[in-house]
Amino acid sequence: MEMIPRADPYLDPDSHDPEGDLLVLNLGPQHPSTHGVLRVKLWLDGEVCIKAVPYLGYLHRGVEKLCEKLTYVQVTPIIDKNDYVAPMTNELAINMAFEKLVGAEVPPRAQVMRTIHSELQRIASHLLWLGTFCLDMGGALGGGATSFMHTFRERELILDVFEELTGCRFHYNHHTVGGLRHDIPAGWDQMVKKVLDIIETRCHEYEGMLVENPVFIARTRGVGVVDPDLAVELGVSGPNLRASGVDHDLRRDAPYAAYDRLEVNVITALEGDCYARYQVRLAEMRESIRLVRCLLDDIPEGPICGLKPVKLPGAVKCPETATVYSAIESPRGELGTWVVGTKKSPNPYRCKIRPPSLHSLALLPYMCPGNNLSDIIVILGSLDPILGEVDR
Amino acid sequence: MIPQDATALMADRFGFQDVDPENGPWVPREAVVALARALRDELGFRFFVYCAAVHYLAVEDEENPEDEHIVVAYRLRRLGPGTESVGFQVRVPMGESTPSLVSVFAGADWQEREQYDLVGVVFAGHPDLRRIMMPEDWPGHPLRRDYAIETRHHPWR
Repeated sequence: MEMIPRADPYLDPDSHDPEGDLLVLNLGPQHPSTHGVLRVKLWLDGEVCIKAVPYLGYLHRGVEKLCEKLTYVQVTPIIDKNDYVAPMTNELAINMAFEKLVGAEVPPRAQVMRTIHSELQRIASHLLWLGTFCLDMGGALGGGATSFMHTFRERELILDVFEELTGCRFHYNHHTVGGLRHDIPAGWDQMVKKVLDIIETRCHEYEGMLVENPVFIARTRGVGVVDPDLAVELGVSGPNLRASGVDHDLRRDAPYAAYDRLEVNVITALEGDCYARYQVRLAEMRESIRLVRCLLDDIPEGPICGLKPVKLPGAVKCPETATVYSAIESPRGELGTWVVGTKKSPNPYRCKIRPPSLHSLALLPYMCPGNNLSDIIVILGSLDPILGEVDR
Repeated sequence: MIPQDATALMADRFGFQDVDPENGPWVPREAVVALARALRDELGFRFFVYCAAVHYLAVEDEENPEDEHIVVAYRLRRLGPGTESVGFQVRVPMGESTPSLVSVFAGADWQEREQYDLVGVVFAGHPDLRRIMMPEDWPGHPLRRDYAIETRHHPWR
């Protein structure tokens, strides 16, 4: 791969353009293609971007401060709202860190169920990404919202599966310290199998809709190439990193939950452009379907929570003052939690969440310069940022 | 767990013995940049995982009193099959600063800005140390332990 010159994120636009001909444009924070409330200040020379400065914090809710106030078992429903597209993996990430801190054992049945939930959530999250990514490219793709409607139809099936399991479509509050809250209802595995069959056939449909569409190819191929060295240095993870040819996936490399029972095929692409990121995510959906099918048939019997049912929120306490870090592979990349706990206290002393989207967005000042404004929308969409977890 | 080669490098080059396997050594502030650069260039820890800070209030205990201070923790990762990570931490007394890692890892930029914004630790040599989450004119740093959680703050007082 040829070396890509790295843009300077600290460029002074005035020195670049002493005559003041640059147009300063605010993209967002209410623009629908910013996937939330991201604001990017762009300096444009005609249509070409010279400098881009993202401004975060429009969705800052002080989740980390709230964690200090709440007890370990009370944090989960708050964390659901962080990455509102993939709440199951959020709950898993924070509860794994708390389990490491308080020393709770998770029974094998809960481990396998957690793995199934994560993979189903990955499919749902990638479906939402695919729909909104096509929506960003607008009317070029057969009437704009066509792909969006198709992917949302399938995502709804997975939400139904989770509703059957937890009673909630979206913010599940399903994981807890030591395991899960709800056991699998009768016939749930048959329901999941049917849904997976439908989604597998529909994946071929999406591919037909997009790969054979010359406009989709023209808008994505060769656009927004990410240099793998820069991506690694910035801490970009997940599909964005694997699309640049870096073979890294925590599910295979540092297995958690029941991933050590599985052979996870890590999907990579070499090009590093928007099209490669689309390819990686589509292939990951198929891989997730395969993994769920592997696990569904042998879910071990037994309890689903390693701790006794908690009646009082303060019952789970940290035994010793300690600091732990634990990470999972969320649909967007390495979702980690760094927790400081103090002895005999039911509250985390400090809880830092490492959101993968924040690191993906850090690519923008490097990727935008030199691109057209219309391509910046595509680049931003291809990174799959969720501002709820960026701002927390 | 800290991998063997990183433990050896820390012991031989920097003299850190009996390192905490989870969080890594306590690094003097002047050695942070050198340690990060050595880990990146010589052992291949090229992936910037996080920079996190935590504020501790003063402890008035006769046996082991503590001053008010901030702890900044970093973690780097080696990618690929069998990935390994190594952490290290720095103790920063109140009112003082710690060197920024932006010159070594571009990914430290926003992470350090976030910790500056929320915890109020100053990173010396950071090219663009502004608030990132809170409004620019926000008084105080919300993740300090003495920042009251239930009082209303400006401008909604």
